[in-house]
Amino acid sequence: MPQIEFINVSKEYDPGKKVLDDVTFKVEPGEFMFVVGPSGAGKSTIIKLLTKEETPEVGDILFNGESILNILKESVPDLRRKIGVVFQDFRLLDSKTVFDNVAVALEVADSSLEEIRSIVPNVLNMVGLTEKMFKYPKQLSGGEKQKVAIARALAHEPDVILADEPTGMIDPDSVDDVLEVLEKINSLGTTILMATHDQEIVNAMKKRVLRIERGQVISDKKGGKYRA
Amino acid sequence: MPKSWSIFMSNVKKEKLLSVSNILIMTITFVLLGLLINIVVFSQTALRYLEDQAQVTVFFKDDFTEDKISAMKDGLSKDKRVSALVYVSKEDALRIFREINKDEPVLLESVSASILPASLEVRAGNISNLKPLAEELKVVDGVEEVRYFEDVVSRFKFWSTIVYIVGTLLVLIFLVVSYSVVIAALRTTINSKGVEFEIMKIVGASDDYVKLPLIHQGVFFGLFSSFIASVIMILLGVGVTLANIFPKGLGLGFLPGIFMPPWIFSIILTFILLLSGFLLGYLGSSAAIKKYLNY
Repeated sequence: MPQIEFINVSKEYDPGKKVLDDVTFKVEPGEFMFVVGPSGAGKSTIIKLLTKEETPEVGDILFNGESILNILKESVPDLRRKIGVVFQDFRLLDSKTVFDNVAVALEVADSSLEEIRSIVPNVLNMVGLTEKMFKYPKQLSGGEKQKVAIARALAHEPDVILADEPTGMIDPDSVDDVLEVLEKINSLGTTILMATHDQEIVNAMKKRVLRIERGQVISDKKGGKYRA
Repeated sequence: MPKSWSIFMSNVKKEKLLSVSNILIMTITFVLLGLLINIVVFSQTALRYLEDQAQVTVFFKDDFTEDKISAMKDGLSKDKRVSALVYVSKEDALRIFREINKDEPVLLESVSASILPASLEVRAGNISNLKPLAEELKVVDGVEEVRYFEDVVSRFKFWSTIVYIVGTLLVLIFLVVSYSVVIAALRTTINSKGVEFEIMKIVGASDDYVKLPLIHQGVFFGLFSSFIASVIMILLGVGVTLANIFPKGLGLGFLPGIFMPPWIFSIILTFILLLSGFLLGYLGSSAAIKKYLNY
């Protein structure tokens, strides 16, 4: 059973202007897939639809075999705990330490203090930030900030991680570190869906590539390449 | 203690300055609301007092005997428009005259009961009945003169009605303004944490997890500031009681003849302010947080 399935999905923010147009694809459990395309192609919309920040006008979206379109509002938090999200701009809280930024994900799920104290160091260890646990975001490099965001996304042990241009705001030297962390997480069985328009990354990683342009799927190839 | 309360308490501690400014703005709002209600009630009470004092005084000719006056009094006592009748005989008039002019012996020597007219004080339940009563009594045989302070009473009634209507409108407008002020004040707090709410929602927080601490915050700010305003209004009520400005108590809206002790009014006003504080805090914070729950 596919983990994620888009079935003839169309989405428009303004009437008559489709951001996604009849998009269909499947993602199997444990896959690493790039969603590529120029700015405005609809990559971020795919991520917003999966986290139910947005709803499509047409089509269906299945997660672990179940449609997410008809789930109750009360069930959306449960869905979001199964899907970790990493953003281009990190979305960290500057007033909280690295530990507390990761702990937020567990606090909102009413995890106990013991659980938080056990899980947070583990996920920070996984992304290689154990030593920076009590630093503040302002004391970190761009790459490190993104690793904190990845650690936060991992806190719930999600089935899938959605990364929206995760290397877009970090220095080139840190890009490899972030990709390495994502690959490591993927190797442990977590599905990764990464939106990017960075052709160097896509071509170097040799993963499945779903190309989107003007809201439509142009190509879908395993070990594919991307030329912007 | 529920988790949402502990989150709210930590929010207040972290944002002391913002919390204090919120409470200050809301307190000023509720004090002004309380003062407006007080102005309306005091002006209505003053009118009730004036209406109560308003009377028609009928002076009789010397040849109109006490028997005739007594018969006329009996007739008037059956008139539904009349609330009270007091007969002042020539002797009573002299006593009153002496009391008023006790420091002027020369004047007192020259006045005797025979030259003072007997009179009848006629009070009306409704101030608007004074004029027709006066007109009717003027033409009765044996009546020398009829006096009543029409202008003063009617002018006060006019202005008091204006105060009542304008005051009530202001209270209503002020409630709307207060609601906006409360929303604006709470939104400042909420907007300062907007990114945090977005992140919470995206990592799986339920609406209640985000909303409840802010609802508690709004209700706490509303109740706390309306409580301070209530204390100020109670002190004002104590001042009014001690000064004995309204010995019979405070009037109840347009209802004539009904008075309540100032402490009861203070309890009612406290209840109104606390209820307004609760509702404004609850509704204001619910409205202010709404946009962050769309994620």
